[in-house]
Amino acid sequence: MPALKTEFAGDRGDLFQLAFRTGLLTVITFGLYRFWQTTRFRRWYWSSVRPGGTPMEYTGTGQEKLIGFLFAIILLAIYLALFNALAMLAAIFTSQGASAFLIYGLMLAPLSLIPVIFVARYRARRYIMSRSRWRGIRFAMSPGAWGYAWRACLYGLLVLLSFGLLLPLRTFQLEKYLTDRSWFGTARFTQFGHFGQLYGPVIPFLFCLYGTVAMMVYGVLNSSWTQIGTDQNGMPLFHISGTTWPFLAIYPAGLLILLFAAYYRVASFRIMASMKTLGDGLEFDIHPRTRSLVRIHILGSILTGVASGLAAALILALAFGVMAAVGVTSTDLVENPPVTLIVLTTAMAVMLILVFYNVFRQLFLTFPMVRHVAETLEIHEPELLETIRQRDREDTRDAGGFADALDVGAAF
Amino acid sequence: MLQSIGNPEFAAKTAMSYAELYDGISPVQQRVSLRVSGEGPQAVLELKNVETHAVLRWSLADMRQVPDQARDDTFIFTPDDTDPARLVIREAEALRVLVLAIPELRPLRPANGSLLKVLGMIGAAAAAFGAILFGLVPFMADRGAEMIPPQTEIALGQTYFEQVYPARGAHECSSPAGDAALAAMQARLTRGVALPFPLRTRVVSDPSLNATALPGGHVTLHRGLIEAAESPEEVAAVLAHEIGHVAHRDGMRAVLQGMGSFGIIGLLYGDFLGGSAAAVVTQQLITSSYSRDAEARADAYAHELLANAGVSPGALGVFFERLQDQGLDIELGVFQHLNTHPELLSRIEASAAAAGIGFVEAGPILSDAEWVALQNICGMAAPPAGGVKG
Repeated sequence: MPALKTEFAGDRGDLFQLAFRTGLLTVITFGLYRFWQTTRFRRWYWSSVRPGGTPMEYTGTGQEKLIGFLFAIILLAIYLALFNALAMLAAIFTSQGASAFLIYGLMLAPLSLIPVIFVARYRARRYIMSRSRWRGIRFAMSPGAWGYAWRACLYGLLVLLSFGLLLPLRTFQLEKYLTDRSWFGTARFTQFGHFGQLYGPVIPFLFCLYGTVAMMVYGVLNSSWTQIGTDQNGMPLFHISGTTWPFLAIYPAGLLILLFAAYYRVASFRIMASMKTLGDGLEFDIHPRTRSLVRIHILGSILTGVASGLAAALILALAFGVMAAVGVTSTDLVENPPVTLIVLTTAMAVMLILVFYNVFRQLFLTFPMVRHVAETLEIHEPELLETIRQRDREDTRDAGGFADALDVGAAF
Repeated sequence: MLQSIGNPEFAAKTAMSYAELYDGISPVQQRVSLRVSGEGPQAVLELKNVETHAVLRWSLADMRQVPDQARDDTFIFTPDDTDPARLVIREAEALRVLVLAIPELRPLRPANGSLLKVLGMIGAAAAAFGAILFGLVPFMADRGAEMIPPQTEIALGQTYFEQVYPARGAHECSSPAGDAALAAMQARLTRGVALPFPLRTRVVSDPSLNATALPGGHVTLHRGLIEAAESPEEVAAVLAHEIGHVAHRDGMRAVLQGMGSFGIIGLLYGDFLGGSAAAVVTQQLITSSYSRDAEARADAYAHELLANAGVSPGALGVFFERLQDQGLDIELGVFQHLNTHPELLSRIEASAAAAGIGFVEAGPILSDAEWVALQNICGMAAPPAGGVKG
């Protein structure tokens, strides 16, 4: 049997309508509709991706996402309250002065959330898998969110201690952890390969990072700083003499670091995708072109920024118009506008700007990205699919709610 | 097209078409022929595998369509709301057969929890947040404010003072005569009063109509407030109110309350850093609810302090009332918070009531010269009151 190719059937115009309509509904409902919005996005994207001509299917619901969110925020609020209390006690009993007090008080609770963020990511992915189907067969993910969280923290620490040299180890091990716990029906995915294979794409990023740090150190050592006063916020102002070019070169260097970070993400994704199998040797390939993804990334970000900026300007003009129009009917409103009117108009304007930002990000970033990746998916030896059987429906209590509460969800 | 059916007469009576079936057991594609048989509620769709000739029968009344397809060249149907089997129709003829047979085709609705469950969860979330924000956090802040060593609190207040005002573009005001006047006012108010910390009162060049009690006895009077006052007694009333906050350690309590509620509001809006406008406004409303009792307590304390010092406790209410008449908002308190007018009214009434109880008038709190010195402590002649908003 020939390999199954994948077509992407989505149309940008339809997506615009969907994004705009659900965005407005989200504004009108003060954000409550966002659970249904996410669900509809997913249904649309899934049905656009058609491996072997058969659309994927997303079976999650907005209501279960809402319930999951409520469940998650209850647990998170209790968790946070506990850590806030601990932070308070630590600050009161162990700190000697004001700065120590502030450090304990402000650092402990955010730090306590770091593992939870990884738990949230894993559980969100698990929920999405459990609600995805292809050819009537369910995907799934085994439980293991805390295992993922401590690995992510540990490998993160290793990356820090090794000055980034072990970044490929972290990338690979986490991806392997996720892949090896993923299922399609009774068939399990397996990640093959070795983290050493990711060193190729990480070199430009590390090189650039080290170069920038070295440049800054050189700059600090070869220049003299004299304080010439403070600005209006009390921050010290310096006059720098001697070697000053490193301080100007930081801007292009920073851009390069971002660019190579994006390159590393894309290239490592591609390398690892080509080393996954399903079940007993069913091979599939995802081979997005690194250059295309980086181009989509950069161009998409620029287009999103420009379009959102224009939309924001328009919306703000409209908001001022509304306030002025209300003022026309009553001069009292102009001289002494009610706080509620200002708050409401501002809130609406901000939310609308966010809606447009999301619409444009969907159009210029998510859509081309998903399309490009999907179109490169190929399933070799499809006759091996015959060995796969259905699996039972699984319920995940939080339905990705932790990720929603902590705002660590994906693009949709 | 009709060759798989032996009886041409029968085939002519029913429309015939082909589609793909996924049986929900294996991901293997089966090619099936479609045929509608029976009528009314008993009508079924017969799906016959063209290779094995095995026949499935789906009740038409139970069939659902999978909604929200990205492109309308493919239509997907299910036998009912729960069955994982999928029928994929791409041919117009096959679709026509199905649509004619099922005029009211309903979209697939995956199993949902009941509305009761949603409401139950909303109730549970409200209860949990209420218990944490209005029970646990204030409780912890109260206990914590009692436990913290005074040295730490004094140092913390100094840190806040050094950070808050420069960030607002304000600096500390000082002049020998002004400082002496302020010290005289403070001394008369606190005569014989035991406070948890030595009081440190300062004037800052901030134009807003504010006064603040930072942790550790650091009280600041904003320039805008001194300019809006028409008599030293009004300033003294505000200072007495702030001393009330110091006596009750409300500044520390507010810091601890902020610490205790960190990140919890943001969860509701899906941004745990609380950066969104909605989260900020909610946080502020909750902070103001914390401080409501603290304000009333500080007012009561101020009334007592003023009466002891031989100043009318009504001065606080008089000041509030005039500012309100001028359309100015005053924000006295631990930190700035939303002050609603009904509350201000009740505070004015409480002040008048306290003045009614009686006190021994002991002369003006500052001499005229002292009062002028205090008004000019920031180096400028006071502009006429009004036009300054807190």
